Amino acid sequence: MDFYLGLIQIIGVHTLLGLSAYCVLHTGQVSLAQAGFFAVGAYVAGMLTVLAHWPIVPALLVAGVVAGSLACAVGFPALRVKGLMLVVATAAFGEAVRLFFFNFNYQLERGGFHIGPHGGEGFRQIRYFPEYGWSTLEVAAFIWVVVVLTMAALWWMDRSRAGAVLRAVGEDEVAAQSSGINVTVVKVSAMTVGGVIAGIGGGIFAHYTTHIEHIQFGIVLATFAVAYPILGGLSNVFGTLIAVIFIQGFLIEGLRFMGDWRNLLFGGLIVLAMNVRPRGLIDAGTITLVKRLVFRSKERASA
Amino acid sequence: MIDFVQNTIDGVMIGASYGLLALGFTLIFGVMRRLNLSYGPSIMIGAYLGTLIYVQFSAGPVAVVVMTVLGAVLAGIYVERLCFAPMAASAGIASMVSSFAIWMQLEQAAILILPRHTYPFPPLATGAPLELGPFLLRIDHLMMLACALLLSAGVQYVIYRSRFGLALRAIIGNPVAAHLVGIDVKTSVMLAFAGASAVGGIAGYLVLAIDQQVTPMFGMWATMKGLIAMMIGGLGSIPGAILGGLVLGVVEAHSLWHFGPQVRDLVAYLLLFACLVLRPSGILGDAPAAETSIGRRSA
Repeated sequence: MDFYLGLIQIIGVHTLLGLSAYCVLHTGQVSLAQAGFFAVGAYVAGMLTVLAHWPIVPALLVAGVVAGSLACAVGFPALRVKGLMLVVATAAFGEAVRLFFFNFNYQLERGGFHIGPHGGEGFRQIRYFPEYGWSTLEVAAFIWVVVVLTMAALWWMDRSRAGAVLRAVGEDEVAAQSSGINVTVVKVSAMTVGGVIAGIGGGIFAHYTTHIEHIQFGIVLATFAVAYPILGGLSNVFGTLIAVIFIQGFLIEGLRFMGDWRNLLFGGLIVLAMNVRPRGLIDAGTITLVKRLVFRSKERASA
Repeated sequence: MIDFVQNTIDGVMIGASYGLLALGFTLIFGVMRRLNLSYGPSIMIGAYLGTLIYVQFSAGPVAVVVMTVLGAVLAGIYVERLCFAPMAASAGIASMVSSFAIWMQLEQAAILILPRHTYPFPPLATGAPLELGPFLLRIDHLMMLACALLLSAGVQYVIYRSRFGLALRAIIGNPVAAHLVGIDVKTSVMLAFAGASAVGGIAGYLVLAIDQQVTPMFGMWATMKGLIAMMIGGLGSIPGAILGGLVLGVVEAHSLWHFGPQVRDLVAYLLLFACLVLRPSGILGDAPAAETSIGRRSA
């Protein structure tokens, strides 16, 4: 049972990570810096609960704000470049953040133990959940409350004017600009919101694993972050969730019995999915199909 | 002062390998305008096959070079067929994600070929380094620098002077028009990909022959170093790739000397970020970033 709860926690945290990239992708920007914001959130939240004895919720909020401010600050210079140059620039930034934490030392002595981030050895003993007696089920429930709230907020945003503006910028920047949209503000805001979500996700990640180190936040995690919304499709938030379940639940955990051969199949299946559905697993066509099915069954019921 | 010069010399030598890696990257990026994250891992497949025949059959250096290049080319074509050929030109990001998935696949394939963490790789040249006054020059480093300059000159010649290069530049300029005048676009792109992988294979061989060992980390290392060097030098510029590699090598050598290995990598990424933000077209690129490519230069 604990295995499945653990899996549910992983899926929840990765969904947050994917949603942070989803936000940025809406404006047509591919950011590989999301793992960097995730790392910032993880370290900030961990330091607040471990070193400053904050409760978890304010610590997560502060982690989100710090990561969001960083994303905003990076957004202004980084968004001067477009397309693949932006991919590389954000990847460089993400790696720089990771290497910063590789060299980051801030330890305090508490009862004969040194606690806090310790360079290459990472940040151990982020034991907020066990210390306050949270069970695995409660932690999983907490994570999913955050995930559901985030998804609801993004769902609402998709349907509001803000979502339309984001999509307009993503589809055609020149057209959006000529209809009076301030493209820079829109892009930087999307980047900031993405940073906040990644920061909160990172904070949660630090607390359920209890031990974080720089190597976890590398380019691989960053690519996973953008792979989820791209694989899932950008038409709505559930695409990202389904892609996370597909990758984390099926490809990584479900195929674990295949041992060394798993990664070979993993690559093949993702390439297959991208070839068959280049616009994502759930695209506009799928939604129309689902709507038509629902509509038809209603029709039949009324007939 | 002596340290400064020696560090610069070492940096130029290491930078030559970055430049070579960037050269293959530039070919792919210039032609496809897409990011191939599997570039390093496909070189690694070649290197692992080369190591395999070295370890199993104690093959000579020529056989190892041939095997490395051949393996890199085969892996490169495999990547092109799966991640680039079937994707629409507009779906560049789908190609990138696919090439990332293939990266994981190739890395696992390398581990299946040779399961230990580290394997020996045949050295290129053994012998005492040359002494020029107080400075030391390793012979294998010099050979690498020479290879980098020769290969970039060769690639420059092929792209700007040969019929195949003309076809490639036509494809870069306008794929539809190139198709209409009778250029076989798909085959040319695949050949360019194979050529880029061959350049990468030679680069990989030289780097590994100097390190004398190969690990599964090599693929990621090659992708990142090649990418950084290409971006610093200027996207799509062939001399820029070599120059970017040399700049990266020199900056890394100095920061290694002053601050140690961890800060060296940090400096490399910060340099890249600053370079992209302040001068997105790189040192030698002249057009706006998104438009820069081999074909757009006057030729």
